[in-house]
Amino acid sequence: MNKIAITGFGVISPSGIDKRKFWANVKAGRSAVEEITRFDASKYASHVAGHVHELDAYSNVSSRLLKKIDLFSHMALVASEIAIQDAGLDLSTENLNRAGIFMGNAIGGWLYGETELRDLYIEGREGVSPFMASAWFPAAPQGQVSIHYGMKGYSKTVVADRASSLMAIAYGARTLNRGKNDFIIAGGMEAPVTPYALLCCNTSGMLTHKNENPAKAYKPFDKNRDGFAIAEGAGIVTLEPQERVKKRNAHVYANIIGFGTTTDGVDRIEPASDGVELAYAINIALEDAQLEPAQIDYICADGAATQIGDVSETKAIKQVFNGNAKKIPVSAPKSIFGNMLGASGAVDVITTILAMENNMVPPTINYSEADDECDLDYCPNKAQEKEIKNALIINRGRGGINCAMVLQRA
Amino acid sequence: MNVDEKVKEIFQQVLDVKPEEIQPEAKLEDSLGVDSTEMVEISVGLKKACEVELADNELKKTHSFNEIVKILKSKAIV
Repeated sequence: MNKIAITGFGVISPSGIDKRKFWANVKAGRSAVEEITRFDASKYASHVAGHVHELDAYSNVSSRLLKKIDLFSHMALVASEIAIQDAGLDLSTENLNRAGIFMGNAIGGWLYGETELRDLYIEGREGVSPFMASAWFPAAPQGQVSIHYGMKGYSKTVVADRASSLMAIAYGARTLNRGKNDFIIAGGMEAPVTPYALLCCNTSGMLTHKNENPAKAYKPFDKNRDGFAIAEGAGIVTLEPQERVKKRNAHVYANIIGFGTTTDGVDRIEPASDGVELAYAINIALEDAQLEPAQIDYICADGAATQIGDVSETKAIKQVFNGNAKKIPVSAPKSIFGNMLGASGAVDVITTILAMENNMVPPTINYSEADDECDLDYCPNKAQEKEIKNALIINRGRGGINCAMVLQRA
Repeated sequence: MNVDEKVKEIFQQVLDVKPEEIQPEAKLEDSLGVDSTEMVEISVGLKKACEVELADNELKKTHSFNEIVKILKSKAIV
């Protein structure tokens, strides 16, 4: 693919909203996973999560609008504003009919949906906010961002479980390759810390039950792993083609140079145990990027911390990188702030950009005991200094979705 | 609380506006940027506050504050 520049980003996460604070927490491997206290979650098998604490301090949303939208749209609006500012975009001079929005999330706006459904059953039809209709559905953030900025170009919302936002960013980049828009804002948002959403995540069987010590619960690639901890958050990036970047002399953090996606087709929840289809997705991405496997300096892993997820991911990396696999640092920085489901890919992109900028591989935390079947360099517990030119980002979703993106430092 | 005050109170709750921002003769759509969904919420709020039956779409965003008060008064609300 023709490389597409990332010129700005905004992150909303349990580890921080300010990018310096976010990176400082990630680099230090300081866990932000806590016990859930927003509602009584004590009877759920998994009741730990990463929470966003500082959103109001950064919010650009009026109290009138806040009543009409779910938390996931609120985070999308704040992250979009930070990204647009970061990119130095002056929307008053842009043709907004050629400005696109590509968003991804896995579950929609359940905080709003649940409250209103409760009101429906308790108070009846008229107890339900009329904004329910437009607040909960997965494309709501795309709509709110479009209304807020008047951006009216070719846009899409992708729902592909935990791979949603990586796919949204990739499809945004491909849309720019086809010349359909001048620029795009792309990313993901997720607000799963709600009673019903948490229940659904629990019944998928992929969450950790290590509630007694929340900060140490999410242990990707460790022998004693038992699943991930959910988190809320959002990540938005601005995407621009090369000619435009040159014309406006924009700062480029990194370029998207390759993408591949495949589907396992074996189970409604678990990935295929052999990692073959994931390896195929990685090979497609490398071919798209016109890179050899040996040119990859860092792998930002999916790191679901399920038994089969981490083993199959490790197998896929070995199939692609062969003898080189153990020499490339592979880490899951989401172990620090929690798994943001559909937003995790966008936040992985942002974390990888910061890793490139700081010549530092962020750690996989809570790693204490090696698993014979997970035998790569997972950058355990401590960040490693390393110059990163090319990085691979892996995201996977329930139902066997595999995505791989190649980023290159500008 | 008379009907004027009740309508103002619902407007404040739904729209986050101050009483002095409400222009009695202007269309709600033009003066306060009211959209059709907000109008449903206003209608539901007024039904409860005034204990009156209102048909769907009886109150419209093209109405003014005064017109809404008039509709409610026509239903013997004071």
